[in-house]
Amino acid sequence: MKQMQLDDAAAVAKARGGDHEAFRTLVERHSRSIYRLAYRMTGRPEDAEDVVQETLVRAYRQLSRFESRANFATWLYRIGFNCAIDYMRARPHRESTEPHETLDRMPAGGHTPSMDDLVYAGEISERVQEALNELSAQERAAFLMRHYHGCSIDEICSALDLKSNAAKHSIFRAVKKMRIALRPLMKAGVGN
Amino acid sequence: MHLTDDDLILRFYGETSPDEQRRIDEHLRTCSACREGWSELGETLRMVDAAIVPEPPEGFERIVWARVAQQLPEQRSGWTWRQLVPVLSFAAVILAIATLGLQWWAAVPASPDQVADATPGGRGPSTTERVLLTALDDHFEQAERLLVEVMNAPDGADAGSDYERVAADDLLASSRLYRLTAEQTGQRQFVQLLEDLEPVLVEVARRPERVDQQEIESLRTRIDDDALLFKVRALSHEIRERQQDIMTTNEGGL
Repeated sequence: MKQMQLDDAAAVAKARGGDHEAFRTLVERHSRSIYRLAYRMTGRPEDAEDVVQETLVRAYRQLSRFESRANFATWLYRIGFNCAIDYMRARPHRESTEPHETLDRMPAGGHTPSMDDLVYAGEISERVQEALNELSAQERAAFLMRHYHGCSIDEICSALDLKSNAAKHSIFRAVKKMRIALRPLMKAGVGN
Repeated sequence: MHLTDDDLILRFYGETSPDEQRRIDEHLRTCSACREGWSELGETLRMVDAAIVPEPPEGFERIVWARVAQQLPEQRSGWTWRQLVPVLSFAAVILAIATLGLQWWAAVPASPDQVADATPGGRGPSTTERVLLTALDDHFEQAERLLVEVMNAPDGADAGSDYERVAADDLLASSRLYRLTAEQTGQRQFVQLLEDLEPVLVEVARRPERVDQQEIESLRTRIDDDALLFKVRALSHEIRERQQDIMTTNEGGL
């Protein structure tokens, strides 16, 4: 049977037994989504790549702890967020991403956006990233888990080892930063 | 009284209780100021969704795998626990049959030739001993693997995986039978190591899903203090040498 046909659960079972090809299937399937998470956390492609690598190595070491009933992607995201937090704490003074690079590496596929769309989306991205940069790594992770990954407060508490109030406070702070950062663009957008 | 920003944020993300949700929704129907705040919040968070995440370069997955693969331990060539469980069980049954056979044989008056075989100057080790060596070779290999995993598992709150618990439980079950056989065949060093291993296996097998880091450290200290890994490796080496000797003797006798 080809490895690519393995679903996550089967690939995990084989990888636990030391089958590297099965783990490769998981790496190839999930590395892009971990990259997106890591990019949002770190704001820099190079840092995001480091976080992806560390996340996958850490996941391999912890495969025996993965509960087979759980969703592998969700489990991997939890590791990814914690790796990103560790990474940012270890290297707290990195500069944030450059907007031009962001525009150069737009997602492929879908409709071709106009130059105005690109500029507008680029400005939003820049401001969202700036607002995220003003948060601690843990606050950032809590907000991203809630907003982009739909995790409940309980799940965030469990993944990040936070108390419920701390998780809520992180999200409140992040949303307030977003409101301040995006308000000028929102008014401009309404005017367009 | 108006709704707070925190109320609206929790409502937006569906983190309010049903009662709270009803209260907020009723208020929003009647209060234009809060409705404006709610609308602005929704618009802001939809803009957050629109933020671009650049795609990694083409071939990213291959690059990641090349980097990750370098950091993985060498691919296991041995058997997995799941494969080993039936094999070890079968070996244990064979060993039990051999032991019973030996006891029956011992009860029958022996001929002089048979006595010569059983003496130190005889033609070699008994069948039970050979079976025991083969079984213990597998047993100690698996015990070594388990000990290495316990010693090297990353620190964290949830240790005690099913995998380790099942492995420890299986080793424990076969260990008792092997110890009995080793005692009957006078293999004192095997008896001693099996006895030393048992408390560790019991602890791993009975671990709850979440284990305090202090307990993990205490177990690791015990493994270290008793030099269990070293003893397991040393006896495994001796077993293989003895098996080699048996093979050489058999070949010489042909």
